Amino acid sequence: MKLGSSKSIIGWLFILIAVIFISLFYFYPMLQALILSFRSGMGLNLEFVGLDNYIRLFNDPVALTAIRNTFIYLIVQVPVMILLAMFFSVLLNNPNLKFKAFFRTAIFLPAVISLVAYSVIFKYLFSTDGIINKFLLNLSLISEPIEWLMDPFWAKVLIIIAITWRWTGYNMIFYLAALQNVDHSVYEAAKMDGANSFQQFFYITIPMLKPIILFTAITSTIGTLQLFDEPMNITRGGPGNETLTISQYIYNLSFEYTPDFGYAAAVSFVIVILTIIFSMIQFRLGGDRK
Amino acid sequence: MKKWMIAITIGLLILFVSACSSGEHTNGEGSSDADVITAWAWDPLFNVAALKLAEEYYTQENEGFQLQIIENGQKDIVQRLNTGLSSGTMNGMPNIVLIEDYRAQSFLQAYPDAFYDLSEYFNIDDFADYKKEPTSFDGGQFGVPFDTGVTGLYLRTDYLEDAGYTPEDLTNITWDEFIEIGKDIKEKSGKYMISVNPNDPDDLRHMIQTAGVWFTEEDGRTADISDNEAVREAVRIYNALQEEGIAHINTDWSSRVAAFNSGSVVSVAVGNWMTPNIKAEESQAGKWTIVPIPRLPVEGAVNASNQGGSSFYVLNIPGKEKAAEFLASTFGSNEDLYQDLVTEIGAIGTYLPALDGEAFQQSDDFFGGQPIIADFITWMEEIPSVNYGMHTYAIMDILIGEIQKYKDGKSLDDALHDAQKQAEGRLIN
Amino acid sequence: MNKLKVFFIYLILSVAALVSLFPFLWMLISMTNKSVDITQGSLMPGTHIFENLSNLFENYSVGSALFNSFFIAIIATVLCLVISSLAGYGFEVYQSKGKDIVFTILLLSMMIPFAALMVPLFRLFGNISQVFPAIGVDTLYAVILPYVTTAFFVFFFRQNTKMFTKDLIEAGRIDGLSEIGIFFRIYLPSMKNTLAAAGIISFMNNWNNYLWPLVIIQSPENQTIPLLISNLGSGYTPDYGVIYTAIVIGTIPTALVFFLLQRYFVEGMTGSVKG
Repeated sequence: MKLGSSKSIIGWLFILIAVIFISLFYFYPMLQALILSFRSGMGLNLEFVGLDNYIRLFNDPVALTAIRNTFIYLIVQVPVMILLAMFFSVLLNNPNLKFKAFFRTAIFLPAVISLVAYSVIFKYLFSTDGIINKFLLNLSLISEPIEWLMDPFWAKVLIIIAITWRWTGYNMIFYLAALQNVDHSVYEAAKMDGANSFQQFFYITIPMLKPIILFTAITSTIGTLQLFDEPMNITRGGPGNETLTISQYIYNLSFEYTPDFGYAAAVSFVIVILTIIFSMIQFRLGGDRK
Repeated sequence: MKKWMIAITIGLLILFVSACSSGEHTNGEGSSDADVITAWAWDPLFNVAALKLAEEYYTQENEGFQLQIIENGQKDIVQRLNTGLSSGTMNGMPNIVLIEDYRAQSFLQAYPDAFYDLSEYFNIDDFADYKKEPTSFDGGQFGVPFDTGVTGLYLRTDYLEDAGYTPEDLTNITWDEFIEIGKDIKEKSGKYMISVNPNDPDDLRHMIQTAGVWFTEEDGRTADISDNEAVREAVRIYNALQEEGIAHINTDWSSRVAAFNSGSVVSVAVGNWMTPNIKAEESQAGKWTIVPIPRLPVEGAVNASNQGGSSFYVLNIPGKEKAAEFLASTFGSNEDLYQDLVTEIGAIGTYLPALDGEAFQQSDDFFGGQPIIADFITWMEEIPSVNYGMHTYAIMDILIGEIQKYKDGKSLDDALHDAQKQAEGRLIN
Repeated sequence: MNKLKVFFIYLILSVAALVSLFPFLWMLISMTNKSVDITQGSLMPGTHIFENLSNLFENYSVGSALFNSFFIAIIATVLCLVISSLAGYGFEVYQSKGKDIVFTILLLSMMIPFAALMVPLFRLFGNISQVFPAIGVDTLYAVILPYVTTAFFVFFFRQNTKMFTKDLIEAGRIDGLSEIGIFFRIYLPSMKNTLAAAGIISFMNNWNNYLWPLVIIQSPENQTIPLLISNLGSGYTPDYGVIYTAIVIGTIPTALVFFLLQRYFVEGMTGSVKG
C-alpha cells in the first residue's frame, strides 16, 4: 500500500495517544527502574554502584534458583498449556457437539476466579491427606500419598498444574475463535482425500492457527516469566526455595525484606532480557516478522 | 452497532458525573489534612478495635479530635508504606502506623527521616523491657509499644491424660524433652504432638529468643548463623519435630487453625494472640490449658519467649504532634485503657503499671478456670530482650532454603555455613 | 467406532468441565458455612449464609467497593478499547518502517514485571498530585490511568487488523469518507467481535487488579473489591464464611460480563469480518 505523506501523518496520529500513554506510564517508570538498577542501598539511602547489582545477582544462589525454577515452568508449562488449549478448542469446534456453550463457559471460568479462593482450594485439594491423594490411592496409581507441597519435584508439578488449570480455558478461547474462521469446506475436502483426524489437525489446523499460536505463545511466555500469584499464594516459594520465581523474589527484595529497590530493579531487568530473547525466538519461529 | 456506542457513551457519562460528585470528598484527605489523624492497622478484631477504644478514651477529654482508622492486611500495609516512603513524596501516608516488631528496625533505618521521635511524649521504661530494642533507633524512641507476642504452650489436657501425662510434665521443659514426650504420645494414641509449616517456620523465631539471641549480632546487621548455638539447636529441633513423625504439616493459616480446631494435635506453641482461634471450637471448652513455652537446650535459655507483637509509629508529616499526643496519652500512659483492652478484645499490652489491674486476674473457663492473662504476664516479664535487627525475614527465607537441604541429607554444619555465607553476600549493611 | 469417539469426546469435556467448576462449587458451599467448618474442609452446604451476608454488608462497605470496581473497570475498558483499536489500526493500515520500530519498542513495555514499576509509578503520581490532585494519589483515576492503554491490547488489535479486509478501506475512500471516518464507520463496526473479546479481557484484568490499587488507593471509600477481600483475611481470626461470601459476590460481575459477551467473544478473537 503506497501512502502519501499526509496519510503517513494521519497514521502517526492514530497511534499517538497510545504512544503517549505507554511512554508516560510504562517507559518513564521503566527508565527510572533501569537507573535504579545501578544504585544500591536500603530504602531511600541509595548510592551509585555501577554494575555491582548485576554482579551480585550472578553470585546470589537464591536469584539463580528463582531463574532456574522460572525456566522450568516456562519450558514445561507453556507448551503443555498451548497444546491442551488447542486440543479442547478442536473438540469444542465440532459442529455436532451439544452443550457447547456450557463446556465453553465451564472451561473458561477458572480465568475469572478470585486468587484467594483458588489458592486455598488448591492447597486443600493437594494436601497430603487431600482429595487428590485419596483419589490416586484408590486407583492404586500410587502406593503412598504424594507430599505435593513439601516435595521439591511435586511442588513444581503442583504449580504447573495450577497455572495450567487457570489459563488453559483463557487461551482456548483464542483458538476456538480462530477455528471458527476456518472454512469447513477445507476439512471436507481433506476428508474426501482420505485424511484422518490427526492429519487434518497437523496439516490444516496448525498452519491455520499459526498467528494465534504465536500470539498466545508470546503472551504466555511473558506471563510465565512474570509468574507471581501461584507460588506466592500456593507454595509460598517452598519447599525451601524450590518453587520461588523471579517475580516473587523481586517482590521479596522490595517489600518483604529491608527494601533494596536497586537490586530488585536489577533482577527485574533479567526478566526483561529473558523475555526479549524468547520473544525474538518465537517471532522467528512464527515467521511473523518480515 | 450504534446502539452499542450510545449505551457506552451514556454509561460513561453517568459514571463521570457520579464520580465528579462523589469525587469531592476523596480529595485533600490523608496526611495534608491535619484535622483528621489517620492510622493504618490490621486486624479489625484486635489492633483496629484497640485503636477505636483508645479513640473513645481520648475524645472524652479532647473534643474535636478525629481519628480515621484505615484497615489493611499487614502485608498490604508493609507494601504501601515501602512504596510511599521510598518514593520520597510522603504522599498519602498516614499519621500513625502499626508495624510488627520484627520489621520495625528495617523501616526506621531505611527511612530515618520519615518517623517522628516520641521520646518527649512518653516513658519507654514503663514498658516490658524486650519492647525497647525494636522500637528505638539511634537514641530516639519512635514506637509506642502495643501488644505482647508472649508465647505459651497450649495443651489438650484430655489427650495428655489418655497418654498418661499431666500438664505439669510439660511445664518448663526443653524442646528435646518435648520431642521425647511427643514420640511417646504419638506411639500411644497416634495423635500428632504439634503442627508446623516448613515453608513458614516462624517457630524458629520464638525458639531462639528463649536463648536471648537472634539471627543477627547485637548491631542488628551482621548475620550470626553458623556460629550461633541457639540457631543451630533450633534448626536441629525444628527438623527433628518432622523427622520423628510427631509434627502434623500445615500449609497456611487456615490449615494451621484447622489442625487444632479439628483435634489433630496435642499442643500448639504460639503467641497469645492465637487464643481466639483456639476458643473458636466451642466443643473443646475445658479441654485446654496453657503452660510456659519449652526452651532451647542451651546455656541461659528461659521458658519464655515472644512471637509477633507490634507497636505504633508516628510519621514525620503535618499532624505529627497531635498523633504523638494521642498515642502518648492512650497507649503510652492510660491504665484504664489497658484494662479495657483485656476485657473487651483480649489484647494484652506491655505497659507495666497497668498489669496488676483486676482485669488481668480473671479466670477463663475455656481453659479450665486458668487465669491465662495473669500467666501470660508472668511469662512476659521474663522474655529475653533481643535486637530483631534489619534482616529477620530475609534470613528466615535463606534458612528455609538451607533447612530443606539439611532435610535432604546435607550436614547441619554445611547448611548453616552456607546460610551464613548467603546472608553475608546478599544482605546490605 | 464413531460412537466410541463421540463418547470419549463427551467424557473428556465433562471431566474438564468438572475440574474447572469444582472450585466454584466449593466457593458456593463455603458461603453457606461457618468459619470453623470451612477450615476443616466441610463439603456439605450449611445454613450460615444469611449470617455471612449480613456480617459482610453490615461491617464492610461492599456497596461502595462494588461501585468503585465497576467505575474503574468500565472506564478503563472503554478507553482502552478506543485507544488500543486506534493504535492497532494505525500500526497495521498505515504500516511503515518507522512505525514498525515504534511498535517493537512498545512491546517492550509488557516485558517488565509490574512490581519493578510500582515505586517509580507511585512517585510519578505523587508529582501529578502536586498539579492535578483530582487524578493524583488516592483517586480512582490514578488506578485507571496506567491501564487505559497497554501494549498487550495494541498488539492484540494489530494482530486482528491483519485479518481485516483492506479493500473495505479503499471502498470507503472512494465513497469520500475521511480516514477517521473509515475507522469509525467501517472498521469499528466490523470489529465488534474483537472489541467484545478485548472488552472482556480488559474488564477482567481491571476488576481483579490488586497490586496497583493497593498502593495508590488509601481512603476506605476508594477501596475496590480485591482490596476489600484482602482486608477480610487480614486478621488473626479471619472469618472464612464472610470471606467466601465476598469472593462469590466479587466473582459474579466478571462471570456475568463473560456470559453476556461470550456470544461475540467466541467469534471475535481473531477479528472476523462477518459483523
